[in-house]
Amino acid sequence: MPAIIPQTPHKDDLDETWTFLEKGIDSVMLKLEEGVDMKTYMALYTAVHNFCTSQKAIGSSQNIKAHHGGRLPFLQRHNTPRTSSLTTFAAHLLGEELYKLLGEYLSRHLDAVYRESEGHAEEALLGFYIREWLRYTTAAKYINHLFRYLNRHWVKREIDEGKKNVYDVYTLHLVKWKDDFFMKVHEKVMEAVLNLVEKQRNGETIEQSQIKSIVDSFVSLGLDESDSSKSTLEVYRYYFEKPFIVATRVYYENESRQFVAENSVVEYMKKAEARLDEEKARVGLYLHQDIAKHLTDTCLDVLVTAHSELLRDEFQVLLDNERQEDLARMYRLLSRIRDGLDPLRTKFEAHVRKAGLAAVEKVAADGDAFEPKLYVDALLQVHTRYQSLVSEAFNGESEFVRSLDNACREFVNRNKICKSGSTKTPELLARYTDSLLKKGSKAAEESELEEMLVQIMTVFKYIEDKDVFQKFYSKMLAKRLVHVSSVSDDAETSMISKLKEACGFEYTNKLQRMFQDIQISKDLNASYRDWQEKILDDDDRRKLVDSHFQILGTGFWPLNAPSTDFLAPPEIVKTAERFQSFYFDKHNGRKLTWLWQLCKGEIKANYIKNTKVPYTFQVSTFQMGILLLFNEHDTLSYEDIQKATSLAPEILDPNLSIFLKAKVLTISPEGSKPEPGASFSLNYNFRNKKIKVNLNIQIKSEQKVESDDTHKTIEEDRKLLLQSAIVRIMKSRKKMKHVQLVQEVIQQVKSRFPPKVPDIKKNIEALMEKDYIERLDGDEIAYIA
Amino acid sequence: MAASGNLLTFVSADNVHIEVERDVAERSLLIKNMLEDLGEATEDIPIPNVNEPVLRKVIEWCRHHKNDPPASTEDEDSRRKTTDIDEWDQKFTQVDQEMLFEIILAANYLDIKGLLDVGCKTVANMIKGKSPEEIRKTFNIQNDFTPEEEDQIRRENEWAEDR
Repeated sequence: MPAIIPQTPHKDDLDETWTFLEKGIDSVMLKLEEGVDMKTYMALYTAVHNFCTSQKAIGSSQNIKAHHGGRLPFLQRHNTPRTSSLTTFAAHLLGEELYKLLGEYLSRHLDAVYRESEGHAEEALLGFYIREWLRYTTAAKYINHLFRYLNRHWVKREIDEGKKNVYDVYTLHLVKWKDDFFMKVHEKVMEAVLNLVEKQRNGETIEQSQIKSIVDSFVSLGLDESDSSKSTLEVYRYYFEKPFIVATRVYYENESRQFVAENSVVEYMKKAEARLDEEKARVGLYLHQDIAKHLTDTCLDVLVTAHSELLRDEFQVLLDNERQEDLARMYRLLSRIRDGLDPLRTKFEAHVRKAGLAAVEKVAADGDAFEPKLYVDALLQVHTRYQSLVSEAFNGESEFVRSLDNACREFVNRNKICKSGSTKTPELLARYTDSLLKKGSKAAEESELEEMLVQIMTVFKYIEDKDVFQKFYSKMLAKRLVHVSSVSDDAETSMISKLKEACGFEYTNKLQRMFQDIQISKDLNASYRDWQEKILDDDDRRKLVDSHFQILGTGFWPLNAPSTDFLAPPEIVKTAERFQSFYFDKHNGRKLTWLWQLCKGEIKANYIKNTKVPYTFQVSTFQMGILLLFNEHDTLSYEDIQKATSLAPEILDPNLSIFLKAKVLTISPEGSKPEPGASFSLNYNFRNKKIKVNLNIQIKSEQKVESDDTHKTIEEDRKLLLQSAIVRIMKSRKKMKHVQLVQEVIQQVKSRFPPKVPDIKKNIEALMEKDYIERLDGDEIAYIA
Repeated sequence: MAASGNLLTFVSADNVHIEVERDVAERSLLIKNMLEDLGEATEDIPIPNVNEPVLRKVIEWCRHHKNDPPASTEDEDSRRKTTDIDEWDQKFTQVDQEMLFEIILAANYLDIKGLLDVGCKTVANMIKGKSPEEIRKTFNIQNDFTPEEEDQIRRENEWAEDR
């Protein structure tokens, strides 16, 4: 460092001042690493200050009067100038010359930098650019401080007055860099950057920080014209982002075209995904965040959209081969482009439907004699498989869930097994449910059973004819309750609450009432026993039949009065009458109908001699009626039995057959069928391995009739449901167009079953005949109050 | 002698060495920037435009105000609009006119905004409520306007007159 204290120039002499300053600036610009001592620093600052505060600077051509009488020119900034001839000179501050000279100096300096840059190319050029940028901007910070007095007064005034192209000294450096250097080299620099990036994309290791520095420099050059203290991304966007995006597009267009030609689609998807991740990472590594969206969009466009047809064509293949991982990859890629997934959803839906139909077909291949479980399992399997695919591969996306639901609804309601009509699935589902809830089912564990009920609800959700399920379910529930054959009350309650959750209170109302009736009956029997204790005499007690009664509300239970007359045996009649008198005592005015066909009991066969413990026969009341006749006779003719029981032949005959088959009775003439003319004798030599013999077997023909009956009642119920819906709607609307009414009805009942339009029309007609509604002019219908 | 640690040495225009704490010195943006640019102060800092008595006054002010929070732009506006000066500063500016002007010049040179404002407000308060003739007397200014010029100025500034 010079030992002599730098001589401060004469403040009034511009040339001297500038010569002094230029020397100082030169050393800051070119030899900063040698350091600047405080004396020089202070001298440079002071030179600028003194020049700007001098009153008679050479080159200042302003009216000398501006300074008359005042020693404090800077005070002028405290006077806000108004419109006056005085303002022109009051506003004048010195500094313009320095500012201009500094600008010219920078231009000269940068010109030299540019000439030097011409000797460099590619990475060497990047290195040069970054080095020079760093040196230049560091120096700019110093010089900005040294010229702070100029910034505070002259520059501030110029900017306050709205002058364009005047910047604070630091910004002036940036502007000059941009105009005098950057504009000449940016293309070459970007070329080097892009070559470097391409190298990296090709797998080579590069000096990433170089690009990062270039990006930072480009960003710094974006100046807000209206406020130089703010920066914009204009320069970066135009000179960096734009060419970068173009190069990226070209690179991936070429790469993907070539890759697709040489590799499988699956391989390509892996490649594309890897490339997308890589580019995303690149932004974080050395690019400006601003490019992220643009870069991603470009890559998606070139890597995915351009090849989307190819990908979609592969979708079916992947589905067929259950390539979950590849499907997930395809989903991820196509989900990122506009409308990328719609075609996949359509294909997926068709595929699931096909799989469902095929599964059903397999079940149906062995004829009609399959277990309901087999059928339901087949439906569930398909659903489960594709549900897991949706959640694993398709991210559980709601549109795919919808496609899955559509497909399932299709194959659940319309398949080979329910060719005859969509009521078959709900029937089979109800039967399967029954088999689970009936005693003796294989699902012993409670949690396991609960899980199966949940699965049943999965299928139930897809069923269109929910009313059919309800019918069958309530029939079977009735039987389970009456015969006390439920596997557990908890399981029954759980199933009912699931149905209620799915279909509402109304749907399960009767089921719940049935359940309640059974609970009430339990209490009733207890109080009946107490009542008996008080009322019975010894004779009664000896002849007492151990009995249990269930009182079932007619409106809730899907049960009918017996289809045959029946003369109950006197022991039973006595028991029944006693209960009746107890019941009517409690509930005056009620009517009880005995459902003999559902009653059952046990009788002891004391007449059989070849066993120490007498056999017990489990029989229906009808069977009891027949067998008890043999207490008085060993042999009875068909006619005797019929007269004594008054049972209709279609009940009597099969029951007699059961006795014959079990060899409880024998027939003569031997080998004949139960029919008029035959006679039956008690078999005293009856033998059986078990002590308890169950003779109460359901007759096959009964089952079939039952199912047909159920279907018939469904039709009836639907008619009522439609009519009540029509009346309900008309009552609230009073007047309505025919078409509109039909639409509303469909809306209201479709949660139970899909109504057919002709059926609705038929029921509208029926209601007109009954004078509930009338037809007006113009296809309108009115409610008749 | 170079100051070490938190003590700097100023050398006034009349070559007097004055020691000053770094945080006090940094009230001057010029000094602050310089220390930032050059790093640790290893040599004396020449203050070529300020004489010892003035420099001491300036340092006194800086020392008193060393803990002032940096003024935000909003504060600056409101502060500039009032001519209120706090008590300490009022006492501080009770000096002869020559000294007052020297302090203002030094504050401007050293880039000490707070002090510059105080100085200017003090001068403004000296002007307030005075007639041109009184002002001329106060600051010892010779009237070099011609009567015509004076007339013209009065007309142009008529709007500002109290009525």
